[in-house]
Amino acid sequence: MGMKLRRTVASTAASVLGLTLLAACGGGSDDDSGNNGSGNAAVAGEKGGTLKVLQHFPYEAADPQRIYYGVQLAWYRRLIYRGLLAFPMSEDGEVATTPVPDLATDTGTSSEGGKVWEFTLKDGVKWEDGSDITCEDVQYGTSRVFANDLITGGPNYTLSYIDVEDYPGPYKATPEQQAAYEEAVSCDGQTITFRFNKPWADFPQAVAGMMMTDPYKEEFDEGAKSQWKVLSNGPYKVEGGEWSKNQGATLVRNENYDPATDDPEALRLALPDQIDYQIDPSDTAGELFNDRLIQDAADVKNAITTARVAPTQFPQITGPVEDRYLNVLSPYTQYLSPNFNSEVMQDVNVRRALAMSLNLNGYVKALGGEVAAAPAETIVAPDVAGSTENPAFAEDNNNDGDPDGARALLEEAGVQTPVEISLAYPTSPTADKAMAVVQEGWNAAGFDVTLEPQGDTYYDVISRPDDEFDVTWGGWGADWPSAMTVIPPLFDSRPNFSPTTCGQNYGCYQSDEFEALVDEAANASDVDAQVESLVEADAKLGEDVAYIPLDVSKFNWLYGSQVTGFTTTAASSSYPEIGLIGVQQ
Amino acid sequence: MTAPLSPESALESHFVDEEQPDGGDSGPIVSKSPGQLARARFLKDKLSMVALVIVVLYVLAAISAPLLVKVGFLDPYSSNQDLLNEFQLPIGAWGGISGDHWLGVEPGIGRDVLSRVWYGISFSLAISLTATVIAVLIGVTLGIVSGASGGWVDAIIGRAIDLTLAFPQTLMLLALSTVAIAFITEVLGVPAGPPAQSLYVVVVLGLFGWTGVARIVRGQVLSLREREFVAASQMMGASKFRLYFKEILPNLWAPILVTFTLIMPAFVSAEAALAFLNVSIRPPTPTLGNVLSDSLKFAENDPVYFFVPAILIAAIVVSFNLLGDGLRDALDPKGHR
Repeated sequence: MGMKLRRTVASTAASVLGLTLLAACGGGSDDDSGNNGSGNAAVAGEKGGTLKVLQHFPYEAADPQRIYYGVQLAWYRRLIYRGLLAFPMSEDGEVATTPVPDLATDTGTSSEGGKVWEFTLKDGVKWEDGSDITCEDVQYGTSRVFANDLITGGPNYTLSYIDVEDYPGPYKATPEQQAAYEEAVSCDGQTITFRFNKPWADFPQAVAGMMMTDPYKEEFDEGAKSQWKVLSNGPYKVEGGEWSKNQGATLVRNENYDPATDDPEALRLALPDQIDYQIDPSDTAGELFNDRLIQDAADVKNAITTARVAPTQFPQITGPVEDRYLNVLSPYTQYLSPNFNSEVMQDVNVRRALAMSLNLNGYVKALGGEVAAAPAETIVAPDVAGSTENPAFAEDNNNDGDPDGARALLEEAGVQTPVEISLAYPTSPTADKAMAVVQEGWNAAGFDVTLEPQGDTYYDVISRPDDEFDVTWGGWGADWPSAMTVIPPLFDSRPNFSPTTCGQNYGCYQSDEFEALVDEAANASDVDAQVESLVEADAKLGEDVAYIPLDVSKFNWLYGSQVTGFTTTAASSSYPEIGLIGVQQ
Repeated sequence: MTAPLSPESALESHFVDEEQPDGGDSGPIVSKSPGQLARARFLKDKLSMVALVIVVLYVLAAISAPLLVKVGFLDPYSSNQDLLNEFQLPIGAWGGISGDHWLGVEPGIGRDVLSRVWYGISFSLAISLTATVIAVLIGVTLGIVSGASGGWVDAIIGRAIDLTLAFPQTLMLLALSTVAIAFITEVLGVPAGPPAQSLYVVVVLGLFGWTGVARIVRGQVLSLREREFVAASQMMGASKFRLYFKEILPNLWAPILVTFTLIMPAFVSAEAALAFLNVSIRPPTPTLGNVLSDSLKFAENDPVYFFVPAILIAAIVVSFNLLGDGLRDALDPKGHR
C-alpha cells in the first residue's frame, strides 16, 4: 500500500496534509467526543427506497483482487463481495476491528505456530448466477494475486507468505507450478488450507480487510479484461454486470443472496432496495456535493458522499445542517522523521529537542483546528491493535511545545546554536502555514529552520538516502487494523533500504534492537503476543526519536435529510458505514 | 558630431511652436527642448501622474520593507493563533483589522497581513524588476543587432523570436522547475529556498520576455539608420559598433522606457500566476503572488484577506500600465491620437 498511499498524498498537493482516499481498511475511530449530533443515526432503518452515493473519484477496478481503496474495500464488502471473514459494523473500535465469519463458518484455525490457516465455507452461499461458492473459488481467487502482470493494483501481501516459489498465477502456470500452488493453498471439500513460509498471526485481519483471498469464479474470469466485471455474492448486484469507471453503477437486490447464510445485524443490513452511484471526478466535485448537501437540495435528500467537507465549508455547518454532520477521527496519522543520515540529527538530544519544542497545538490549529485534526501521541492510529500512547511523546504531553526545555537539551548535546536544519513537506496552502508554526516553535528553541516545500515528487525526493533534508513529513494509514502494517513497513530497514533509496523509511532509521522486536512480532503465533512486541518496538522508536507524531486526521461528513443510520466505524475506514445506512420512505 | 538626444529633435522641432501655451500672447516665445516638452506633456496628464505617484509609493514600500522588518515595525513571520476563532478565521469584523494589525491577520496562523503584503511587495518588485532588466537587455541587444545587420543574422534572430513566442513557456516553467532549481542549487551553488527559487523565475521570465522589446527596437533601428546623422557618421568612417551602440542606441531610450514600464506589470502578474503554480518564492517568505494564492480559498469566509493582495497586485499592474501609456503619449505624441 505504501506506494499507493504515497503517490496519492504527493499528487494531491492542494489537499489538506495527508488526507488521502487510499487504503487503510480498519483503523479509524468512532470518536465519541467528536460525534457532533449523530442526527438520525439512532433511528432504526427500514427496508426499501433508493440510496444515492455521490462519489468524487473513480475506482481503479471492480475486480476484487485489484481493489486497494480503503472505502471501496469496505463498501464492496458490505454490498457485493463477501469475504471469508469480515469486520463487523460496530461503533466500538475494538469490536469493529475484530474479524468475524462471513463466508466461512468460523474465524479460521491456525496451527504450526501461525504458519497454517484453515477455513471452512458455509453451505448455501451462492454467486449471483445461482451457483455455489466453492473452496476452489477461494483457491482460484487467491491465485490470481500472483498474476501481477495482469491483475495489477491490488494488495499483494500474500505473495511473500504463501509457501510456493516462482508461481506466476493461474494464467501462465505450468501444470507443475499449479500443482505446487494447490499444495500450498489446498482444498478438501469445503475446507481451504493456507500454508505459509512464515507465521502470519494477523492473517484473519488481512482476510477481512483486503480482498486478496476472496473467492473468484474461474469460468467468469477473463484476466485483465475482468477489471470492471462484477459477479456479486452479496445482497446487491451490479445492474448489467459491469461497473462503469466514470458513471458508477446501479446496485439492485441480488435474488441469490440468502441472508440466512449471513449475519445481517453484524455485517450488512442492506436496507435500501437500490443504490445509485454518481461519479464526478472533477476537482471541484467534492465541494459541490457538499454544497448541495448543506442546502439539502431535493435531489440529494437521500444521498451520502465519499467527499469530506472542505475546511472552507465548516462555517456553514450550523443549525439544522449540524444534525446531518459527523466529525470523526480517521485512520491516517502524520509524523515527522528526523533524517539519520544528517550529521546534526545524530545526537538523540537534538532529536528530543525537536520533539519537545514542537508546537503541536498550533500546528493542529493551522490545519483547521479540532474539526480537522487531533494531536497524536503515537504513529499507530487509534483503533489499530497496538495503538497506545508512546511514552516518549506522551510523557511531556505539553503540546504547546517547550522551547526552554529543548534549549537545555541542545546545550546538553553540546551543539552550537542556532542549529541549522531543513524541514521538507509536500506543499499546499494549509501545509505551508502549519509548517510555519512548527518552524516558529523550533526557532524559539534554538534551531534555525529552513522550510522546504516540495512538489509532486515529494516521496521520491525524501526517500533518497542522502542528507538533503534534516526532517521530513510523512503520512500513513494502516492496511488492516494491526500495527504490523504500520511499524515494520515504515521503520524496518531491511525491506526498505536499497543503494538508491530508503524506501518508506524516510528517516533512514536503522536499529538492530528495534528490528529484533519486529522479528519477534512477525514470528508471534497469536495476535496478543504480536501486539505486545509491536508496542515495545514503538517505544523503542520513541526512545530513539525515529519519528515525532503530529496528528490524526479527522473526517467530516454530511448526508441528506432522508438518510438513516448514518455513522462511521473503524471497519469502514471512518467513511460512512454503508451497511447500516437506510433511506426514509 | 554627436547624435541628437531625442529621436524627435531634429525633424520634429516644429512642435515647439504648437506647444506654446495659449498662443503665447502673454510673453516672448521661449524655445524648449524635446525633453522639456515631453515632461510638460506628461505633467499635464493627471492619470499618469496618479499612476506615477502610486508606482513611487510601491518602490518606496519595496525599499523600506526589509529595513522595517529589521527594526521590527513589520513582522511577517510571527503567528498569532489567539486572534483566530474555532474555524481558524480572524476574530472580529473585517478580517481581524485592529490597531496592531491594520489589514487584519491571516486565517489559520494569524500572521499580520500588512507585514506580509508590504514585505511581499519587496520580493515581487525585485523579481519583476530584475527580470524586466534582463528582458530589456536581451531585447535591445538582439533588436539592434538584428536591425543593424539585416540579412541572415536578421532572419535568424527573427526566427528565434518566433520560436520563443511559440514556446509553451508556462508549461515549460512548471515542468522544468524541479530540475532547474536543483541545477541552480547544486551546480551553481545558489542557496536553496528563496534565492534559488527567485533566480529561476527571474531567469525564465527574462529569457522569455525579450521578444517584444527586440521587435520594437529592430523596427526603430531600421528607420533610424536611414537618418542623416547616421549617414554622416558612417561617412566619417565610424565602426559598425559605434554606429549602432553610440549613434542609434541613445535615440531609442524613449521606446525602451515605454516597453520597460509595460513589461514590468506583466511580470508582476506573471509572478502571481507562477506563485499559484508553486514555482515562485515559496512561503513562509511572502510575495504578492503567494499571499494571493493563499487568500483565494478565503473569498467567502474572509473577504478582506481575499481582496488585499488582489487589490495590491491590480493597483501596481494598472499603475505601471498607465504610466507606460502616459510616457508613450508624452514622448511620442504622433504615435497615437
